[in-house]
Amino acid sequence: MDGELIQAGKFIGAGLSMIGAAGAGVGIGLLVQGALNGMARNPDAYGNLLTTMILGIAFAEAIAIYCLVVSFMMLFVL
Amino acid sequence: MEETRKWKWGKYRWWVLGLLILTWVSITFIATPIQPHIQVAPERILLEPLITLPIIGDFYLVNTLPTLILVDIIIILMALAVKKALQGGNLIPKGITSMVEMLVEVLYNMTETSAGKYTKKIFPWFASIFILVIVANFTKILPGFETIGVLHHYEHGYESQYLAGNWYNIIPVEAHRGAGYILTPFLRGVSTDLNFTLALALIAVFMTQVVGVQTQGLGYFTKFLNVKTIFSKPGLGFIDFLVGFLELISELAKVLSFTFRLFGVMFSGTVLVALMGSMLPIFAPAGIFLFELFMGAIQAFVFGMLTMVFMVQATQGHGEQADH
Repeated sequence: MDGELIQAGKFIGAGLSMIGAAGAGVGIGLLVQGALNGMARNPDAYGNLLTTMILGIAFAEAIAIYCLVVSFMMLFVL
Repeated sequence: MEETRKWKWGKYRWWVLGLLILTWVSITFIATPIQPHIQVAPERILLEPLITLPIIGDFYLVNTLPTLILVDIIIILMALAVKKALQGGNLIPKGITSMVEMLVEVLYNMTETSAGKYTKKIFPWFASIFILVIVANFTKILPGFETIGVLHHYEHGYESQYLAGNWYNIIPVEAHRGAGYILTPFLRGVSTDLNFTLALALIAVFMTQVVGVQTQGLGYFTKFLNVKTIFSKPGLGFIDFLVGFLELISELAKVLSFTFRLFGVMFSGTVLVALMGSMLPIFAPAGIFLFELFMGAIQAFVFGMLTMVFMVQATQGHGEQADH
């Protein structure tokens, strides 16, 4: 009974810790919005804006990855 | 007005069809995928430690070490090929030389726009970290990666099937408790090892401090221990001291964020590919794998770019911010 409770706790914790990925989704959406606005105003800056956008997306996604790492830790390590 | 060609099927559709049929044949008759056993720490190939140091402890032969050797060999062979091609004397590159030249030129231009006169100090770190991480992430496409390995006894394992010689196959039939096997692959992606990413992060952050000291002298450390303005500006001077303390904490946060960004992306990619391979083995893992390769390249770029940006920030002191 105890082992099952701990297992259930692990699953609940892993699921709850992924709520933080919502912030990353919003952040990436805002980033792409800004980049698209810039590209629409000034199509010559396409290459520059694309590179900076990809860089910014990697940063915003890293936060979601931290949530994922905590979730993996809960499922498989602890 | 240009005329648009009528779209026709290409010739690669036969290759795709052939590979799909090959996948179906191999899944039905040779090896059906099983649910992977996911473990954050890399698995041990040999169960006894290789060497035992007195204080630090045991060193095992782990999954990711053969991969690291393979990645190193690939990078060294690439460098030797470029060197041999450059010795011919013709300045027009072709083949691998042109690819490497394009890569180095793009990275150098990027460094030059940010760094200015310290480009020659900063560029080697950016390029080395980028090339190492991107080759380490692209090596995962080789066949047999994370699928060929040693079968270990495990409690909740699967049964195995005898193929030929010393080769066994693991089949998706749950075995009785205590008599099952799981697979420990010989090769596992290097970036999924927390040691590799932690080592790279420590090197990057430490060399940032070194570049700062090289360009600014020992005055670089007043970034962290800011006692210059405590007495000249009474109230705000103390806040400068606290800001210096926060900078120190932010350096440690940089180490952590470097480590877990790369590790998280690559490890979750590995888990996704393995799970997708066990659920929908015919075509879906190819799409996920393409996405993972793209993410691996992006993470390599981000790691290198962040190192470069931090080094550029380390060469600029406090006072220069007022010049902008």
